[in-house]
Amino acid sequence: MAEGVVGRLRPRVGSWRSVLRHGPASAVWALLVAILILPIAMFLVIAISPRLLGQGDQWFTLRAFARVLSPSLLPAAVNSVSVALAAGVGAVVVGAAMAWLEQRTDLPGRRLWSGMMFSLMLAPSYLIALGWERLLEPAGVLDVLGLHAAWLRGHFYGPLGVSVVLGVKGLPFAYLAIAGALRGLGDEFEDAARVHGGGPVTGLRISASLLAPAFWSAFAIVFAESVSDFGVADTLAHDAHFPVLTYTLYTAIDAFPVDFPVAAAIGWVLLGLAGLAILAQNLAMRGRAYQVLGGRTRQVRRRHLGVVPRLSALAGATMVGIVGVGIPLLGALAASLFVGMGTLAASPTLTLDNYRRVLESAALHAPLAYSAEMAFVTAFLAVGLGLVCARALSTTGNRLSGRILDLMLLTAVALPGIVFAAGYIFTYNLPIMNRMGIHIYGTSLLLLLGYVATALPSTARVLVGSVSQLQSSMGQAARVHGAGAIRAWFSSSLPLLARPILNAWLLTFSATLLELPVSQLLYPPGSPPVSVGITKALSAYDLGGGTAMEVVSIALVLVVMGATWLGWRLLAPRGWKRIGEAR
Amino acid sequence: MTMALNLPRTDDAADLRAGHAVRVRDAVRTYGHLAALDRVSFDVAPGEFLVLLGPSGSGKSTLLRCLAGIERLSSGAVSLSGAPVNDERTFVPAERRDLSMVFQDYALWPHLTVAQNVAFALRRRSVARDEAGRRVTEALDQVGLAHKVDRHPNELSGGEQQRVALARAVVGRPRLLLFDEPLSNLDAHLRERLRVQISTLTRAHRATAVYITHDQSEAFALADRIGVLDRGRLAQLDTPEAIYHRPASAFVARFTGISGSLEATACSSASAGAEWVSVRLRRGELRARPMDGIDGGARVTLLVRPDAALLTTDTDPRAITTGRVTDIAYRGRGYDHVVDLGEGRLTGVHDRQAHPRGSSVGVVLDPAGCHATLDPGSSDPLDRSAGAESTPHLPSPVRGVAA
Repeated sequence: MAEGVVGRLRPRVGSWRSVLRHGPASAVWALLVAILILPIAMFLVIAISPRLLGQGDQWFTLRAFARVLSPSLLPAAVNSVSVALAAGVGAVVVGAAMAWLEQRTDLPGRRLWSGMMFSLMLAPSYLIALGWERLLEPAGVLDVLGLHAAWLRGHFYGPLGVSVVLGVKGLPFAYLAIAGALRGLGDEFEDAARVHGGGPVTGLRISASLLAPAFWSAFAIVFAESVSDFGVADTLAHDAHFPVLTYTLYTAIDAFPVDFPVAAAIGWVLLGLAGLAILAQNLAMRGRAYQVLGGRTRQVRRRHLGVVPRLSALAGATMVGIVGVGIPLLGALAASLFVGMGTLAASPTLTLDNYRRVLESAALHAPLAYSAEMAFVTAFLAVGLGLVCARALSTTGNRLSGRILDLMLLTAVALPGIVFAAGYIFTYNLPIMNRMGIHIYGTSLLLLLGYVATALPSTARVLVGSVSQLQSSMGQAARVHGAGAIRAWFSSSLPLLARPILNAWLLTFSATLLELPVSQLLYPPGSPPVSVGITKALSAYDLGGGTAMEVVSIALVLVVMGATWLGWRLLAPRGWKRIGEAR
Repeated sequence: MTMALNLPRTDDAADLRAGHAVRVRDAVRTYGHLAALDRVSFDVAPGEFLVLLGPSGSGKSTLLRCLAGIERLSSGAVSLSGAPVNDERTFVPAERRDLSMVFQDYALWPHLTVAQNVAFALRRRSVARDEAGRRVTEALDQVGLAHKVDRHPNELSGGEQQRVALARAVVGRPRLLLFDEPLSNLDAHLRERLRVQISTLTRAHRATAVYITHDQSEAFALADRIGVLDRGRLAQLDTPEAIYHRPASAFVARFTGISGSLEATACSSASAGAEWVSVRLRRGELRARPMDGIDGGARVTLLVRPDAALLTTDTDPRAITTGRVTDIAYRGRGYDHVVDLGEGRLTGVHDRQAHPRGSSVGVVLDPAGCHATLDPGSSDPLDRSAGAESTPHLPSPVRGVAA
């Protein structure tokens, strides 16, 4: 008998080893197929083969697509593309200007912008749209203040307003994409052009060329997000009688009789448009993904702005803040604090009644409690699964399985939430599901799965950067120094990933708490989530109750974030907090 | 910077267990169609220090990771102290092999202090708290870092980080110590000092050691035996002296350091294992060590060890060939010369006296440092083995053998 630790070992037998090695991976793949691929694929296939799943007589037809292109539905597609293009261009222009001012000039207060962008990223589009509506509607905030907003209302309730809100919602994506590229771009490229005889314009042109991939990325993201958006479609666009594709899809499913084939055809169009944006970005960037970040990248010099440019830049930045954050917040706060806002019945009076109603009436606070529970569980599940996917992506990136997973998650990121929700409604209501003993249609479990499926792709994307940065030797060192696989992960990997995991959890929690499209289509009867509760209250002309719910929901998000960060500051081990912290 | 070396206390010496006996049989590791290891077999005796030497892509890292249990063999077997740890039915994970490892990138956990990093191996071994504290202090004392226990890794220099990694590796008194090119990220000065620490500390702990490197001078300085790996195969496994004086192949000779290769003609026939073969250069005949079976009259390549070439005047009758100095570098104890000969070029030819650029010189060759092969080698300077045609900066005992 051999001595020591090795001598006490019992060999593992081949079949068990195989099960242990491949079992967990197979389970994860099965889950991903069940929540990401199956519902969407089954839903989309009925657009071309309604009979396959009992939705018509024909095995193959393109009639649903013909209806989407018919004069009654075509304007929605044209409108969707037009506002998405406008939002994309607007967000790139404003985002680039703000990124440049923040990164390259000595403009005061520029650090506040990162906070503003973070707030915008967290705010769902329907909240921004609703804020504007409260401001501009007849007997709204502006009317109450005696400022006649009829002319602005006329312009805003239409393509202009929809484009502005979508652009504002897309602004953080454009800003982050361009600011990230600017950060890596040192002065040396421009300097090199200057010392080799190029003037300032040549230098600027070279910088612009180097930043082109970031511009295209920013545009593609904002375009895809805008085309897929349901929040503005369900609020401002609907109220302005401005049809867009996502709302048309919703009505195809929500109306009676339900028209799944047309909804699926719209799903295809939405998916195609998002795919086109990504394809266009790839084509534009072919061979142009310049690697400018290296150990020799020199810190840039900040340009000193004179008085006039400084004041203009500050005015512009303030305007963006007002349009994106100020007005929605002001609209919601004002409407929730005044009774009689938005009605012609009586003159509005300042009161806290709406907040008291939210706290006392189950009809108003139950949705918030329900959403908070769902968001809490969703965030844990999405982060857990996201970590597994991120790990798989970082270790199997070049293998076929890695490429498939990558493609699957990328497609799912581009997939509009409303298509996800429609896929879930359709698939889990099929008779075959009942026959298989899967009775989750109309339950909280289906809503939870829908939330996890929509949150997972972006959560995995958020985590994959940090997980790929984790050197494999960290875990290996723990293993060779005596820790088992699970203990090695908890002792060597978790501390290094704790901060990104916490960020991902918070992002997923906030996004899920205020999520609209999946909530709208999948909520169990009698248990509306908060976003549905808000829109229901508003459509029932309970403006005070609806907006008070908005404000309380946002406050809850902020409280959870604050509490989580406070907990991190107070409770996390000192070594964990050191990771990723600037000196 | 202090680099004190305090060996284990005498009362602890009795606690030290004998190192693992390592046995590797027909180890194969493939990645797709690429074989990183191709039927590698060897044994390492308990307490022995084995260095695996090879260029990038030779499979040395793969072999070390298979020994560690970080990777599995595709086929073949590894056993430690007689117990199988990796064969077709068995795979014992790393944490149950009673070993530790020093990584090339140090792999210190950034969220833990120096003391916590070192204590990690003891926590996993259920050592009592007091005893663990004593051993951590002792291990850090051994590498001269007892005064930095509360620092975090990013507050240490590269050399200090690697010394913490060394302390972490030895503190648990494992029976097998694995080293994955631990000095490759350090500058030359630190490398030499840390090498001494590794050598002394490992032997003091009586652990078996397997150390991989692509640096031949490191290998010669540390090893009891050296295994040279070439494209996943073990080209030669022997003592440093045998590897240097009787390389098994042109690859081994080139990779363990030559001054250059000269074109010559065989004057006699010799089998691969023969003691000598006679070869002709421009000015006369010379004995050399045959590495292949060579027929009389065959064109051969003469691989010349750096210390086998001696510069003299071009009229010296001992000179077997003559040439012109094309470059010279001052090395403190003398000068290294680059000499272009009619038969080829020799680099790093040492002489206490400087021979100016452009001067004609005679070259005397020591037969014991000349190896004849039929393999012409590569003329590409970026070739993996041709790249080693330089002075290997060998430690003096080896360098002095043939001089």
